[in-house]
Amino acid sequence: MSWPLYLSMMKSHAKMLGGFIYGAVAYIVLIIWIYPSIADMKGFNEMIAALPEGMRKLIGMENGINSLSDYIAGEFYGMLFLIILMVYVILTSTRLMARLVDQGSMAYLLATPNSRVKIASTQAAVLITGLACIVVFTTLSGIAASEWLISGYELDVRSFVKLNVLTFLIFSCVAAYCFLISSICNDEKKALGVSAGITLVFYMFNMAGKLSEKTEWLLNLSIFKLYDPIKMINNETDALLTGSILAVTTILLLAISIIVFKRRNLPL
Amino acid sequence: MIKVDGLTKAFTSEKGLFDLHFEVNKGEVFGYIGPNGAGKSTTIRHLMGFMKPDSGHSSIHGLDCWKNSAQIQKLAGYLPGEIVFLEGMTGLSFLTLIQQMRKQKETKRRDELIERFQLDVKTPIRKMSKGMKQKVGIIAAFMHEPEVLILDEPTSGLDPLMQRVFIDLILEEKMKNKTILMSSHSFHEIERTCDSAGIIKDGRLVAYEDMHSLRTVQRRVFEVKVRTDADIEKMVQSSLLTEVIGERTVHITVQGNDQEFIQLLSQCEVQHLDTRPQDLEDIFMHYYDRREVAK
Repeated sequence: MSWPLYLSMMKSHAKMLGGFIYGAVAYIVLIIWIYPSIADMKGFNEMIAALPEGMRKLIGMENGINSLSDYIAGEFYGMLFLIILMVYVILTSTRLMARLVDQGSMAYLLATPNSRVKIASTQAAVLITGLACIVVFTTLSGIAASEWLISGYELDVRSFVKLNVLTFLIFSCVAAYCFLISSICNDEKKALGVSAGITLVFYMFNMAGKLSEKTEWLLNLSIFKLYDPIKMINNETDALLTGSILAVTTILLLAISIIVFKRRNLPL
Repeated sequence: MIKVDGLTKAFTSEKGLFDLHFEVNKGEVFGYIGPNGAGKSTTIRHLMGFMKPDSGHSSIHGLDCWKNSAQIQKLAGYLPGEIVFLEGMTGLSFLTLIQQMRKQKETKRRDELIERFQLDVKTPIRKMSKGMKQKVGIIAAFMHEPEVLILDEPTSGLDPLMQRVFIDLILEEKMKNKTILMSSHSFHEIERTCDSAGIIKDGRLVAYEDMHSLRTVQRRVFEVKVRTDADIEKMVQSSLLTEVIGERTVHITVQGNDQEFIQLLSQCEVQHLDTRPQDLEDIFMHYYDRREVAK
């Protein structure tokens, strides 16, 4: 790790990161704020139950809304947050490596007595730090909003935090394979295209897998199989196992990226 | 100090570097000349450890350029041929970042260079002109007073005044016994500063000699206008290579025989004398030809 580079990178990413944090925080606060009116609505669950099963799974309301936790997990973590984090991770990983190589500014960083391994580790740290920032701010504002904005509904803070940790780990994993692609590519657009493409395919498999039993096998091909917010928040998954698998995969992928970057020819 | 030994990197069978050998001793300034796309930047990328050679190797101060690139950077300063900096920074914040990454605290030399090149460091880099960016790059390469300087087309984008400032800077570094490799596609730029030069063409070193012997093979064409037809006659009859191109106007090719040329001129009544600007291939045409015949 090179601290000056880390700080300077964080600074230049601050604006974009701020935007993502703002978006995520505003949405989770809003969604919690309107929860009482939905929960009190008579017949809401009947209406949901009338939908086909595949559809219910898709919008994250398999069993209707029974608690604040279910609601947040299904509505926010199952949908919008997923998209926010996907976009953030794909954009940032491309910017941190492939863009610098493509434009040539990487030459200046490597012309200092810092090894390629050190530079690449720093960039990876910036990526993971940014992701952690979004998740942490979202967690805190989720807890704060359910505490102060609405009354009479309890959020199980412990499982909520657990859900967030798992979300962070899933997306670290996505970030890690995007980073690997970014470390291999000389062309920024290509890196962006490939990592967005792979992630979208994962996302589509996930959607299609939930739609019907016939397509369920597709789920196994997607990393998002491990990401089921409602089950996670209701402690129906083995969080420790999933978490460790994801953490190990992330570390492996990042290590491979750094080694690949160390060994390859750079067109600088 | 800098040693390139059998460096080969083939992109295709025609493009790349092929069995390159040269050496730059400590305190020497080496000019690396060649037309665009000849392989100048590729060689420099190998020296900086950005590329792994197919065969052969290069070293700086005894350190292998591919394996020990990070250590080499401690004693080297590098100016890339293409100047692109990190986004969203000013000149000063960029220079500060590079200094911090080098763990260098001294800012005296940096400020001195900024003053010398009259650079407004507060300007955001994306608003800088090409020349200003080039200055930032030059300062970044020189500010830590490196032992070895590797400069890829250092004067491109600089105005004539700044080119002179730069040449003075090179001569100064040379006095301090620094080793310098600079590439260029202009012979004139190299001529003033370098001790020896290598000419590269299509990835092969076609000439590698000291400056003096290069000067003797350098071809220059003078355009001479004289007063009388008798003078023209005299010139055409001389042993020099001449070509009459108009009324009392001759092109005379001079290659190492400057003395003879001057003597001839002294016998004529010269009205006007001019040199024709030439590209590299023109200047060293003879050299290239000779090599091809030798093959």
